[in-house]
Amino acid sequence: MSGNKPSAIKSILTHAGVYLSLFLFLLPFLWMLLASFKTQVQILDTSKLFEITANFSNYISVFNEYSFLSFIWNSFIVGVGATVFGLILGLPAAYSIAKYKQEGLGLLILVARIVPGISFLIPWFIIFSKLQLIDTYTSLILSHMLVTMPFIIWVMIPFFEGLPHELEESARVDGCSIPSAFVRVMLPISGPGIVTSSILAFIFSWNNFMFSLILAGDNTKTLPIAVFNFISYSEINWGGLMAASVIITAPVLILALFAQKYIIAGLTGGSVKG
Amino acid sequence: MKKSLVGFKKTAGYLALAVGISSALVGCSGESSTSSDSKSADKTEKKVQEIRVVAANHPWTESIKKELPAFEKETGIKVKIDSYFEDQLTQKTSVEFASNSKGIDVVMFRPLQDGKMYNKSGYFADMSSYVGSEKGYTDDFIPSSLGSVKDGDKFYGLPLVTETEVLYYRKDLLEKAGLEVPKTLEELEAAAKKLHDPANGVSGFVSRGKRAAAVTQFSSYLYAFGGDFMKDGKSTITSPEAIEAFKYYGNMLNKYGPKGTLNMSWPEAMAVFTQGQAAFYTDASSLFTNATDPAKSQVADKVGFAPFPAGPEGTKPYNITSWALGIGANSEKKDAAWEFIKWVESKEMVLKLQAEGNPGARISVWNSPEGTAKFPKDLAEAIGANGEAEAVPYDRPVLINVGAARDVIGDVILAGIEGKDVKEAAEKADGEFQKILDSEK
Amino acid sequence: MTNWIDRNIKWVFTMPAVIFVALMMVAPVGYTFWLSFHEWSMSNITPPLWVAFQNYLELFQDELFIKSLKLMFYFTIVAVTVETVLGVGLAILMNQNIVGKGLVKTLFLLPMVATPVAVGLIWVLIYEPNIGIANVFLEKIGLPGQEWLTSQNLVMPSLIFIDVWEWTPMIALIVLAGLVSLPKDPYEAAMIDGANTWQSFTKITLPLLKPTLYSAVLLRMIDALKTFDIIYATTQGGPGTSSQTINIYGYVLGFQYFKIGQASALLMVFFIIVLSISIFTILLRKRAGVNL
Repeated sequence: MSGNKPSAIKSILTHAGVYLSLFLFLLPFLWMLLASFKTQVQILDTSKLFEITANFSNYISVFNEYSFLSFIWNSFIVGVGATVFGLILGLPAAYSIAKYKQEGLGLLILVARIVPGISFLIPWFIIFSKLQLIDTYTSLILSHMLVTMPFIIWVMIPFFEGLPHELEESARVDGCSIPSAFVRVMLPISGPGIVTSSILAFIFSWNNFMFSLILAGDNTKTLPIAVFNFISYSEINWGGLMAASVIITAPVLILALFAQKYIIAGLTGGSVKG
Repeated sequence: MKKSLVGFKKTAGYLALAVGISSALVGCSGESSTSSDSKSADKTEKKVQEIRVVAANHPWTESIKKELPAFEKETGIKVKIDSYFEDQLTQKTSVEFASNSKGIDVVMFRPLQDGKMYNKSGYFADMSSYVGSEKGYTDDFIPSSLGSVKDGDKFYGLPLVTETEVLYYRKDLLEKAGLEVPKTLEELEAAAKKLHDPANGVSGFVSRGKRAAAVTQFSSYLYAFGGDFMKDGKSTITSPEAIEAFKYYGNMLNKYGPKGTLNMSWPEAMAVFTQGQAAFYTDASSLFTNATDPAKSQVADKVGFAPFPAGPEGTKPYNITSWALGIGANSEKKDAAWEFIKWVESKEMVLKLQAEGNPGARISVWNSPEGTAKFPKDLAEAIGANGEAEAVPYDRPVLINVGAARDVIGDVILAGIEGKDVKEAAEKADGEFQKILDSEK
Repeated sequence: MTNWIDRNIKWVFTMPAVIFVALMMVAPVGYTFWLSFHEWSMSNITPPLWVAFQNYLELFQDELFIKSLKLMFYFTIVAVTVETVLGVGLAILMNQNIVGKGLVKTLFLLPMVATPVAVGLIWVLIYEPNIGIANVFLEKIGLPGQEWLTSQNLVMPSLIFIDVWEWTPMIALIVLAGLVSLPKDPYEAAMIDGANTWQSFTKITLPLLKPTLYSAVLLRMIDALKTFDIIYATTQGGPGTSSQTINIYGYVLGFQYFKIGQASALLMVFFIIVLSISIFTILLRKRAGVNL
């Protein structure tokens, strides 16, 4: 290193660069939050952009006029269901693909990630209505599982590849079948991987719009659909829309804040490990 | 909420089943636990007659929701209303109908947009026997509006909301500028030009500019210039009259419109007007409550209404049935559905809802003073004047595949708004439009 | 029983997932394939009519289809390129000693996990020509306000900007993870040889990062090709057809025009394009020495 000065300047510049870009990336969220506390008149008046008044009327009307609580509940049930079942089907599959190098199956799962979701809509609707499953959690969970399960497998394959397989062998020596060795020995040490894939799977399900658009009905309407329905309602009520946006994004944002370590691992794990 | 709990139980049942199966695989020295409890019986719930109405996000839907308890008390039929915005409604209902689902008992639809297609696809139940069972039932309905829900003698719906295109304007702005309410399109343009003041946030004119959505509100302009969409199965959108109309409409929005008109359907255009950012606005009469309700409009006390201005070929606004009610072909509760329709279409209910600002299709209601009592006086007059003019009973080409046709024609409107060569755009659209027409022969 | 399970474990473990994928994915795609040779308008009276390759022939003569194809590639190529360049830059910045790095990384996650429909709404408000902050900002610095999403010329760049906002952080975080795991020795060797920062970046960092970049770009590309929510929530393909990518056009054909046959043909073409691009990238990645 050639002296302290240049490196200090460099450090300041780096910090400035990082924090400035961070600010730019967060600006839209600040904007949403700000607008959600404004009345329509304040939003329309561009001369007072950053005037803050603690006005909860938008939130109150969102909860009073629309049954947002039940939409939140719906989204939550579907998200949890799709994640849990995704894990039940996905974990053993990922384990087997990792252990026995079933690359063909791995590809098949990848294809599920690739196919444009829109190709499923018409057939699904026809099949699910024949089974009388439209507007039920079952159909929503099944459809969302097509998003969550491949993702879980995708994240878990490299994870399982990295686990020491001697552990399983020693459990086998103790008289356990492979499935029970998997459940009793391998799964407990896969905690971080499972947490990572579950959180992301839940977020994907929570955010899903297209599948719910077709399969949800009044009883199971999830948040994205409810918010979208809210848009074109007789007038453009920006404050209400932004309050609804805050409500829909807040849970995932909070989840992301608390579980950032896992999420970053999930997003980067599969690719960095190679 | 109760419903969702039931659904949740069901899902939990499947969950238990799945966990049961997997735990059977997991046991250590071969012991296997039995999977218990799979289908907790929630089928025992007593069946109450409940019908599902799929409706649009529309002032009418809001109004009828408030009246439902009376109906449920009177008939014991429970009514569940699912509502969606227009395009979503079409998509949702058609997918549901196409899969032969029994879920829709009553459907709210746009006769000019979806009516023909739904009817041809067998989505509707034939309502003729119901309508016929009440003697003289249809006598009180405006004849042209009945025409839009019939296939020959067969009824597939009953008209619900009627509308015509009127001119919304700002009384205060006109007064300040000393302007008369424009009676012709020429005067409208002159007045819009005079009032156009973007520096102070006021545009002279606003109307729909979003591709398909604009077509219906453009139609009155087209007719006023003496044009039409088609004649005897041949596209007429390149006729000199039509070109003039496209040019006029595009020019108005291009020169005197606010920013962003290309993405405006009525909610956006209405917002511009009700926020006091435009002097003139042409759109459907049935939307007027958005402009006159102080909770939604900042210019509620300054809104004036006038008949649609006359063009070179006179005043020829559209006057249509914008919404109707039908019964789903696969509904298992058709009788209950008809009970509901009969109730909402009854003279008393139409009167009540019309008094709240939902223009209906009953002649006697329009003729009674209460029927128009809550309408602003000038609006009632404007609607009346439109009715007396050579009104046109459609606001878009009457086809099976309306959606595609509207998009094609919308492209020409767009070209006009953007100040591009309208003639060239019209000629291009003409070919595509003709193809659609030919495909329906 | 237990023995049988143990012997066939690789099928016992994978079959549930495979059957699920087959039922939920292969069957619908097969049905779509079948429909693509038929003409059907979702009628309950007229069943699908066999038309052989008619739908495909019409599709390739359809200007809107060609346009939507171009728009899809335009969107994907520009968005992914910009995201990659910015993402690598951001990652290199973040790879320094930054105070509060953990928090910074966390906050950068937010755009990509936020619900797309809500993101769309936020940006509609930001781009709103009359009250949006984008134009307020432009006017403050003395530039004329733009129409953004409602302008035929600006709508695609505006949408791409949203995508860049949403996904650059993902590339950055992936690359950052890659950077952290790079070996230190080559850099020391290069420094002894007198290489400057730029040289060591292009000669050492980039080649070593190649596998990571391939993965990140592959993931991003698949999703960018399929972008639906954001476009649907902001412009629905408008104004006119200026942002009607193939995904949106498929939706319009299917659910607004009810040309199920033609929509199915379009979806098959779309499917094949996405699939072949993915396979191509995977092969490239393999050649770069990375396993799936």
